[in-house]
Amino acid sequence: MGERFSAPRALLRGIPITVWMLCLVAVPLGYTFLISFFQVEGLQIAAKFTLKNYRLFFTDPMYSGILLKSMLLALAIALLAILAGYPLAYMLSFRVRRGKQALFMLSIIPLWVSYLVRIIAWRTILGNKGVINSALTSLGLIQEPLSFLLYNRFAIAVTLTYICIPFVFIPVYTSLEKIPRNIMEASSDLGAGELRTFFNVVLPLSLPGLVTGFIFAFIIALGDYIIPQQLGGTQGIMFGNLIWSQFGFAFNWPFGAALSFILLAISVTILGLTSRFGSTEGGFLSE
Amino acid sequence: MAEENAIELRGVKKAWGDVVAVQSFDVEIRKGEFFSLLGPSGCGKTTTLRMIAGLEEPTEGQILLEGHDVVRVPPYRRNVHTVFQDYALFPHMTVNKNIWFPLKMRGISLSDAGQRIDRVLRLVNMEGYERRLPQQLSGGQRQRIALARSLVDEPAALLLDEPLGALDFKLRGAMQKVLKDIQRNVGITFIYVTHDQTEALTMSDRIAVMKSGRVHQIGTPDEIYSRPATAFVASFIGEMNFLHGRRLQAQGEMPQAEVGGHRFRASRSTITGTPGSGDEVLVCIRTERVQVNSHRGTDHEVEGTVRRIVYRGTDYELTCDLAGQEVRAVVSAVDWNPELRVGTQARLGFNAADITFFPQAEEKEIVQYTTEAV
Ligand SMILES: Nc1ncnc2c1ncn2[C@@H]1O[C@H](COP(=O)(O)OP(=O)(O)OP(=O)(O)O)[C@@H](O)[C@H]1O
Ligand SMILES: [Mg+2]
Repeated sequence: MGERFSAPRALLRGIPITVWMLCLVAVPLGYTFLISFFQVEGLQIAAKFTLKNYRLFFTDPMYSGILLKSMLLALAIALLAILAGYPLAYMLSFRVRRGKQALFMLSIIPLWVSYLVRIIAWRTILGNKGVINSALTSLGLIQEPLSFLLYNRFAIAVTLTYICIPFVFIPVYTSLEKIPRNIMEASSDLGAGELRTFFNVVLPLSLPGLVTGFIFAFIIALGDYIIPQQLGGTQGIMFGNLIWSQFGFAFNWPFGAALSFILLAISVTILGLTSRFGSTEGGFLSE
Repeated sequence: MAEENAIELRGVKKAWGDVVAVQSFDVEIRKGEFFSLLGPSGCGKTTTLRMIAGLEEPTEGQILLEGHDVVRVPPYRRNVHTVFQDYALFPHMTVNKNIWFPLKMRGISLSDAGQRIDRVLRLVNMEGYERRLPQQLSGGQRQRIALARSLVDEPAALLLDEPLGALDFKLRGAMQKVLKDIQRNVGITFIYVTHDQTEALTMSDRIAVMKSGRVHQIGTPDEIYSRPATAFVASFIGEMNFLHGRRLQAQGEMPQAEVGGHRFRASRSTITGTPGSGDEVLVCIRTERVQVNSHRGTDHEVEGTVRRIVYRGTDYELTCDLAGQEVRAVVSAVDWNPELRVGTQARLGFNAADITFFPQAEEKEIVQYTTEAV
């Protein structure tokens, strides 16, 4: 209905969402930001302004080293999740005729299972007496259980990739479903086989979903601390664990808050950079 | 090989389960011909076109492009292009890139394609729009870009699926001329799908009239209009009277029938078999061929009571009662006699040359007139 809202009414309608955002996002964030400039005295957080938390991060190379390592791992995980999630979405969107809805639900069902349960499941798969090792042992292919499967970065990558796949799959699938089928028929009609239709038409048109999926996966992987802690072993200290430990036994909330903000700044920067490539119209692919 | 056909269909059939969309379609379409598929919604026009393009595989039959059977050839290797009803331009490419696409697929770089792109843009009168994206164009402009994109690599034939369906009336008329001119200039075979009979009649070299997947007639616009093969074709094109009559003994060559006590001779009858008398027939004459109070002599003259008069701008449509059946006549506004009023008697004249008999059984196929219900 060509109904127009007058400015005051539009403002009124905006109030609930604004309040919600304030309570759940702005206030905690602002508070964390504030704390990151405080310091710890004994077992108390003292509201005395200082930059030492940030200074510590930038002067001790251990912290930036962990950050860099975490970012590289998150990047690898995001790319792996795309490599697994994109073909899945492509097949489901273009190849499956019957039972599409059911298969879609199956693909996202892992999201309904508790995060911790899924982590424990992966531990049983990768562990010394886990599914893979016992299978290989009983087949006589190996004598000793493979130890590189668990308690290292490999285990983190596998499990986090698995966690991230639905977050790539959903936006990619949605953007593939939005591509009008006759545009693909036109491409075929004008001389492009499936591969060239993919690179010239499907991929550019699904880029917004792909970028969204990448951002999701990257940020989830970068911020996670439970999987590194559970499956990462000694190699597995990631930036998320660092933050977590400051709020936990290190009891240095101000430093933890500062690290959180550094992570947040990085995430926001990546979001800003990548979302520019996500727009199809006037994006870099159209020129 | 001598002059081969651009496209040939041999016994083509398409069915989805029980749904038969197209059956026993046979046609030879000549090079450079403007060939239309005409018929009501759901008659199988799009399906036929998609089979030629390769987007749909026929259940039976052969499709030949320039003499070669292409049933197993994928769309991207067929030398024909489709112009889709909703244009199907690539939304992420500029006009330039859209038109370049078929050339790019043939390995031609954008700079080498420049001249050809310019030429088709000129052809469709869209120079200066190269840098626009499809969503920055109007419907008619998109239509012309879609056309340019399909023409740029000079395919053997262009398949157009109701290309003007989404345009308003005036623009439609203008685009019809543009299309026809382009087709004449480039000499490419056009297969044109439409459900608009006027469009088909004015633009085509030949027309295939279809209904429920079956081809009723293939012929030139004149043949289709003046010698319809079936009652359906007669009813679908132009405005036609269908009267119930009884078959009489033929008079020499001329078949005869009786309608409400009047004897009518017909120049044509599609009824096969020996002319048994007493069978029911459909006596059919175009509304503009019925003469009203004419001074010119006609083969048959009958009196009818005027039931309804509808003024339509350039003409009047008169509905008369003829022994319980309605006869409609179209009288040009210039010749209109204002003394004709509802309730008065009118003298209706028919010429045998304008009358055709169809089997009564074809009545159920007739497209009903909307003015019938009062
Ligand atoms: N994919 C399909 N599966 C099943 N039936 C189909 C399919 N495509 C078309 N049909 C059926 O085939 C018949 C012919 O359809 P088609 O699209 O060729 O008609 P059309 O002449 O183009 O009609 P319109 O003028 O409405 O576009 C219709 O009865 C339609 O329901
Ligand atoms: Mg159609």
